[in-house]
Amino acid sequence: MIVRKNHLQRWIPYLFVAPAFLLIMGVVAYPILNVMVRSFHIQEEDRYGLDHYYTLFTSKIALNNLYYTSYIVIITVLLSIVLAYALALYLRFTQSWASRLIGALYLLPRFIPGLVAVNAMITVIRDSGLLNRIALAFGYDIKPGLMFNEKGIILMNLWFNVPFATMLLMAALSNIPQSLIDSARDVGAGRIKLFVHMILPLTLKDVMIAATFIFMSNIGSFTTPYLMDSSSPQMLGISLFTQFSNMNYEYAAALSVLMFFLCSLSAAVYIYTNMRDKQWEK
Amino acid sequence: MRTKIKWMLTVLLVASLMLLAACGGQEEGGQGESNKKVTLWAGGSDNVREMFEKQIGYFNANNPDGYEVELQFITSGTGTQNLIDRIIAAKKAGETSTDFDLIELDATSVLQYLAEGGEDLFVPIDTSKVPNMSDLQFEATYRSDLVVPYRGTTVVLAYNSETVPEPPKTAEDMYQWIKDHPGRFAYNTPGSGGAGSSFVVTSVYNDLAAEALTSSDEKWTAEWDPGFKFLEELHPYLYQSGGRVVYPNKNQGSIDLLANKEVDMIPAWADMIISQKREGVIPDSIEIAQIAPSFTGSTVALGIPAFGSNSEGAHAFINYMLTPEAQNIALDSMAAIPVIEFSKLDPELADIISGLEIEEFRINSIGGLGTKLNERWDEEIGTLE
Repeated sequence: MIVRKNHLQRWIPYLFVAPAFLLIMGVVAYPILNVMVRSFHIQEEDRYGLDHYYTLFTSKIALNNLYYTSYIVIITVLLSIVLAYALALYLRFTQSWASRLIGALYLLPRFIPGLVAVNAMITVIRDSGLLNRIALAFGYDIKPGLMFNEKGIILMNLWFNVPFATMLLMAALSNIPQSLIDSARDVGAGRIKLFVHMILPLTLKDVMIAATFIFMSNIGSFTTPYLMDSSSPQMLGISLFTQFSNMNYEYAAALSVLMFFLCSLSAAVYIYTNMRDKQWEK
Repeated sequence: MRTKIKWMLTVLLVASLMLLAACGGQEEGGQGESNKKVTLWAGGSDNVREMFEKQIGYFNANNPDGYEVELQFITSGTGTQNLIDRIIAAKKAGETSTDFDLIELDATSVLQYLAEGGEDLFVPIDTSKVPNMSDLQFEATYRSDLVVPYRGTTVVLAYNSETVPEPPKTAEDMYQWIKDHPGRFAYNTPGSGGAGSSFVVTSVYNDLAAEALTSSDEKWTAEWDPGFKFLEELHPYLYQSGGRVVYPNKNQGSIDLLANKEVDMIPAWADMIISQKREGVIPDSIEIAQIAPSFTGSTVALGIPAFGSNSEGAHAFINYMLTPEAQNIALDSMAAIPVIEFSKLDPELADIISGLEIEEFRINSIGGLGTKLNERWDEEIGTLE
């Protein structure tokens, strides 16, 4: 009787996990494997080889797309983190009506659907947009030149990612007990010392986590570049779409694997950061 | 530990079997229904979906035989390819009595359907069940024995009449206008929408033999070079932003540039411009014009796959689509070019398209070459500095 109950208790958790596990296997793991196999397939000659990957790393267009995407993503990550960190510090350490107002509002962009936000941004920054029209009212024909190039995309990415990163960093900063900060101040630590030797190290893990999340969500971004970018160079997500529409399914598969690999790199950083934390806890 | 793994594996196995069983069970649904249900498969932009929903609402409430049409809509992008793939796959799998009762297709793609799915892919249209076919003014481009056109569609030149009092009348005039007015013309990337694609196709094909435009023979690719050279020559005269030439994405992308007066002229789908003007989303000063030789257009048709399960109902719906009521609805909701005599239409609605002369469409059916053309454009023109 007791044994049976033990058995039951043992497998019930797996039963609960099984549907989710199977679903993940079916809709994530299987397609990934499928795409990986397909990326080596050379349709025209019906054989397997590295040709598509060779093209990805030698063709001028493909390389340009890769550099262009990396450039946008890295700038986005750096700017988002710097801006979000500054905002989080301000919100954590300043008590005023302004900081309370910003604290209540900063997450608002997260609740505006992406497509709406992108179109709103376009309406403002395009060469005939709000900025231009306001300038015209004062007699200047200022064309911001932010559309159809990386500047507009980066601006848009900041809109999406700064609130998100601020949220993560705010949580990290709130976890630093005020008493700790006060005692450091008492023994004579100045603002800069406090920041460099205490606040930054204590939140570095969260900075890394925020950075990996921003990296991953932007490396395959589609909506923003599709609506705001020009035809060349293309971000990887758009390039993937183009290849797919042109029915180069195998080449598109290789491109997907490359994007998957880039995301895995950042996932590895994420996991590593988390593991290290566990060691500190010991 | 070992028992743990055993248990885990057992559970996984059982659960996966259950999942498989559940999936298998679903296949059998569908069939037992009464033969009053007709499933219509269509794709494209959202205005096509809205139009069909209105048509179906009217048809279901008014047809004497009590047929119930249901819409399965695939939004454009890579989706349209999906419908072809699904139909071909169903045919190859030897399926029968599927719910592919009726499909909407670009009249030029019939040949592609037949080439991949075989000559017996469609049920020949039984004209005795579609009496309204006698009112039809257009032939389906190909195989009017298998598909029936229900609306026309064409790319035109859209321009801002405030800045362009006299629009070009010929393609040559248009090209000259582009060169005389640097930065005031834009066309969207051909892969992202039919208007830009029509501009590219006609620019490349205008100097080729007329039959080239209706051939998917690979040999024509050899004659593309002068056309691409010409597109390259046009490149510096096109719309610029941030100091470089820009090709917007999607048909709507170039319409937005025109509506915001960043350019004065674009190629655009006639129905998009007309409907958006009626809705007041683009200024009244935007007008359309046709040039000679014209941009490309075609008819959109309905066909009945041989493995559907309600050919009677499908015929009835096709017959309905050719009535003045249905043509009025299509005209009103998406400025679709009617396929029956204009005098049979509501005169107020007919006014909407009075500016269009559509004696005949210039058909583009280069099939798979279209993809190759887009690819070459992406590589050679899209990447120009």
